[in-house]
Amino acid sequence: MEDRREEPVFLEPVVSVCPLGDATAVDVRVVAANVQAVFDLGVDILERSPLPEEAFLADRRQYDAAAVLRHLDAMVRPPFRKILGVTTVDLCIPVFTHVFGEAHLGGRAAVVSSFRLRTNENGFKASIETYTHRLIKVALHELAHTRNLVHCDNPRCLMHFSPKVNHLDRLPILFCERCRYLLTQDWRRPAGMG
Amino acid sequence: MVGRFKILVVDDELIVRESLVGWLKKGGYQVDTAAGGREAISLLDQKDFDLVFLDIKMPDLGGIEVLKHIRVRYPQTMVVMITAYGSVETAVEAMKSGANDYLMKPFEPEQLTLLVEKLLQQRRIIEENLLLREQVAASEQVRYGDLIGSADCMQRLFDLIEEVAAVDSPVLLRGETGTGKELVAKAIHSKSGRRYGPFIPINCGGFTETLLESELFGHEIGSFTGAVRAKKGRLELAQGGTLFLDEIGEIPLKMQVDLLRVLEEKKFHRVGGTRDIPVDFRLISATHRDLAREIEQRNFRQDFFFRLNVIDIEIPPLRKRKEDVPLLADHFLKKFRRETNKPVEGIEADALELLMSYEWPGNVRELENAMERSVVLAKGRYLRKEDFAFLFRATAVPEEPRSLQEMEKRHIHRTLKSCGWNISRAARILEINRTTLHNKIRKYRLDAVERETDGRP
Repeated sequence: MEDRREEPVFLEPVVSVCPLGDATAVDVRVVAANVQAVFDLGVDILERSPLPEEAFLADRRQYDAAAVLRHLDAMVRPPFRKILGVTTVDLCIPVFTHVFGEAHLGGRAAVVSSFRLRTNENGFKASIETYTHRLIKVALHELAHTRNLVHCDNPRCLMHFSPKVNHLDRLPILFCERCRYLLTQDWRRPAGMG
Repeated sequence: MVGRFKILVVDDELIVRESLVGWLKKGGYQVDTAAGGREAISLLDQKDFDLVFLDIKMPDLGGIEVLKHIRVRYPQTMVVMITAYGSVETAVEAMKSGANDYLMKPFEPEQLTLLVEKLLQQRRIIEENLLLREQVAASEQVRYGDLIGSADCMQRLFDLIEEVAAVDSPVLLRGETGTGKELVAKAIHSKSGRRYGPFIPINCGGFTETLLESELFGHEIGSFTGAVRAKKGRLELAQGGTLFLDEIGEIPLKMQVDLLRVLEEKKFHRVGGTRDIPVDFRLISATHRDLAREIEQRNFRQDFFFRLNVIDIEIPPLRKRKEDVPLLADHFLKKFRRETNKPVEGIEADALELLMSYEWPGNVRELENAMERSVVLAKGRYLRKEDFAFLFRATAVPEEPRSLQEMEKRHIHRTLKSCGWNISRAARILEINRTTLHNKIRKYRLDAVERETDGRP
């Protein structure tokens, strides 16, 4: 019988993962491997990049996620279409006390921070396995935002909004059927189509 | 669902606007921004928003001032004040001025998500309640027994029915076929002092002369071939109630004499019988014929006409109350949805427009039949223009070409009329905001057109 499965559309690298500041090589490799496995895309790891100085907000002792995204966006080079930054610093945006990660909706850049993922709600340190899972979940969630996916109502979907680490822990590393379909459709669009 | 809600973010700091917009968009909301109070007011005047995030301190016009403007002009819009200069006093002032909530920068991402969800849920409930109230108010106004109509002529008819029901005089209903003469007769009966008595209708045009006589007067055993047992006629059955003689113009001259006698003497005897039977009923008759002409042509007795025509009521044809077409169409859609169990939820706007442009020679009955046919044959959840194409096959007359502006003017006028000039409802149907609709009403002088044609304000 004829195999009617479609050939993978993107064989060349599409997403670049960029270690920012002192992000650990292990975190970066784990994130890159999961992006490749879950999204079925070519992924490359870039050279380490320092965090942009202007992103540091001295009064809050945090980094402005929007400024980090601008910095990452300027680093996108063909053949890559998306860039995902991995950092250990505490990220915020002006109106929010903190964010685990941030992305331009439908844009090219996303960032994930490990700063608030290492500790549980009760103040105890999370196990390495829990921490790694959280990091992967935030990275995939933010990267999906760059592909136009918005928050999902389904609490068993990776696009469900998780403001706290215990919420993140309850999420599977899976997109719901609807979001998975939207992602597939979006990846198949030619470059430059959003 | 969330994508339907429109949010306006007003903050003089670009970075705050960008951050909030980015976050809200990721939540799936439609977001607009304004960099100051004046820009916000201008945007609010152009577009409907469900929720506004409003910075308290802005250089051109403060958030509290904008909030006061919103409360006066757009009371349904939710407002959340955001401030980095927060103090209990400003928060209290904002809440006193009608803010729904406030947030101090920076806040937890979860706070924002929960707050937006809560407010939009509230908004949804308010909208649903408003809609429900509108529907209840509308249904009270448009329903009169089984009669439905919001048009002025129908409202006048309902008033007339009230007056007529209070007296016991004979009524003659005039109206084209399918206008609902029997429903009016029933309404008069049910409002009258005879409402606990029977309502006995008979279609005089549906029987041969002999059978009609037997139906009306009844018969005794053996009075004619096949009369194997005595039978009460409709006159007898209507005792204490109302007798409705539909298509009275079809009654043969001889029987007109017999009926005239019954009306004058208040007694009759069955066919083949000799015993006088006293009767007490109210007579309502109806015809689609021009009885004056029938009298001229000696097909109808003048004395009988005068006896029937103590109170004369004319029922308007559907083409003279086209604003009722959506109401009636909706009523029949629900009726046939129930009967057929088909999941048809509504009628698409252009299909409704088509129904309103049709002349309805068969009146409400034709509309009812058209809706039944369309519901039974419907393939989707909404009835489409194509589902009513059969109405136009025989009668379609090509319209003169018109300009776009003229079409727009006509369409807006028609929609306003169909909504009883409810601006919010019309704006929703036309998918424009209220301000735009007001501007177009002014531009096309539609309120003046309405005054000229309908006597409305």
